[in-house]
Amino acid sequence: MTTIVRETNLHPDYPLPAVDHPVTAPFWRACREQRLMLQRDRESGAWHWPPKPGRWKGGRLTWAEVSGHGRIHTWVVGAEPFLPAFRELLPHLMVVVQLDEGPRMVGHMVGTKPEEMRFDLPVRIAWKVLNESVTLPVWEPDRPAERVSATT
Amino acid sequence: MAPAQSIDGDLFARIRDRVAIVGIGLVPFAKDIGRPISDTAIEAIELALADAGLEGEDVDGMSMFEMERTHEVTIARGLGVRNLRWWDKISYGGGASCATVMHAAAAVATGLAEVVVCHRARNRGSAASRPWAQERERVEDDKALHVPWGLIRPVDVIGMWAHRHMHEYGTRREHFGNVAIAARKHANMNPLAMMNGRPLDMETYLAGRVIGYPLTLYDCCLETDGALACVVTSIERARDLRQKPVLVHAVAQASGPNPVHLANYNNTPEMVTTAVFCAEQLWARSEIGPRDIDCAQIYDAFTPLVISGLEDYGFCKRGEGGPFTEGGRLELGGELPTLTSGGGLSEAYVHGFNLILEAVRQVRGTSTAQVEDCRNVLVTGASGVATSAMVVRGE
Repeated sequence: MTTIVRETNLHPDYPLPAVDHPVTAPFWRACREQRLMLQRDRESGAWHWPPKPGRWKGGRLTWAEVSGHGRIHTWVVGAEPFLPAFRELLPHLMVVVQLDEGPRMVGHMVGTKPEEMRFDLPVRIAWKVLNESVTLPVWEPDRPAERVSATT
Repeated sequence: MAPAQSIDGDLFARIRDRVAIVGIGLVPFAKDIGRPISDTAIEAIELALADAGLEGEDVDGMSMFEMERTHEVTIARGLGVRNLRWWDKISYGGGASCATVMHAAAAVATGLAEVVVCHRARNRGSAASRPWAQERERVEDDKALHVPWGLIRPVDVIGMWAHRHMHEYGTRREHFGNVAIAARKHANMNPLAMMNGRPLDMETYLAGRVIGYPLTLYDCCLETDGALACVVTSIERARDLRQKPVLVHAVAQASGPNPVHLANYNNTPEMVTTAVFCAEQLWARSEIGPRDIDCAQIYDAFTPLVISGLEDYGFCKRGEGGPFTEGGRLELGGELPTLTSGGGLSEAYVHGFNLILEAVRQVRGTSTAQVEDCRNVLVTGASGVATSAMVVRGE
């Protein structure tokens, strides 16, 4: 089961991304459908992140879904003073996830304690619905045992 | 590619030791300077011109940081400039520091201008003025790739690199502490430094409160109000002026591949920052190398940047930056005195312009932590963002 966190009290100053930018709109649209999609070169199969304009090198890039699995490449634990919109999340676990497909993405953990973090920790995608237009890809430890218990 | 190389070669040969920094000036640093930057900028430039033995009427070029948007014409009017013939604003915050001198040197070498003033005026002492505290609802472009997850404070952006460096190479907090302590020791020799009179030892460093683990209070630069300037002109003109010329030897700017404004974590294999690409350009244009550098002013918004900077600019191998700081190597009397005015960590954080002024003092022989027989100095801009660097030297 994929974890979905719904924000019920979005801070008025939360720094929401512009989801209608022509380059990144397909990414954010897929996030709303809870699918993690990155650009991929039609010819070489190489994954591209951060996104590039779709017309890059004659339109070689296409959006394709990734597995939603990766490992913790690095992380920081945010403490005060912090942006008010994120204060409730302190100590805030911000991460760089190395996706199984190769690219590294910035994200944050959900349902995880600082003491659980380690380098190369396997993680899986979770979703945080901020409002009707923005859903953020977030991460949680890939705990096989727990996955079993959650489905029984 | 070949023609571009030869144009490069021509221009950088015309800059190399043929353009000089001839004057420096600064308004005393403060937590709250109480004056707008358009005003402090003019004063700092006037002081730099006076140091050089020049006047506003002599100025025909201006380069500055894009970030705080003071108007060139306001400054030119305040200085009494007759006719500004060339100007430039350079982006990426502290990445722009050495680029102000680089662009000025290129303008002088190509005849676009004869006397260029470069400056940084920055009012950031009060917490509310910090950009990361001002983010509002809609985040555009590159920032949308990290800010919505809360990764917005520079300390956290750099902490990502620092933490991975610790994991990959065994770098320890004590290594970061060595950087902070070296900077603080030098600040205690510099009466103008904000942290003058406030010594720092390892015990205090290690007890610093966490800001964004693994980085703590003493890993972070100060937030300071200040205004600093320097004057750049040709070596021929420099010979008629008051100060011993400080020669611009080599200059470089680089973004690296696939850049993101601040949080670019996709360089492989070591997650290197922009400085690697800048160093490559810099040393290719220089007749000297890291071993010839007597003193380094490595951009220090956060202590880990100095450790990666030592690696990026070739003072040690990748991963050896931590141990390189041991045994007082970065302190006056050590092998590579670094941040000899106290740097952004302990003198003032003004986007690295104080590092440029300190490099000039070292070559002149007027630093408060003077390196003996100092001839060649490296200055670097902020790494992580698109950056710049230069080597200056004495005649």
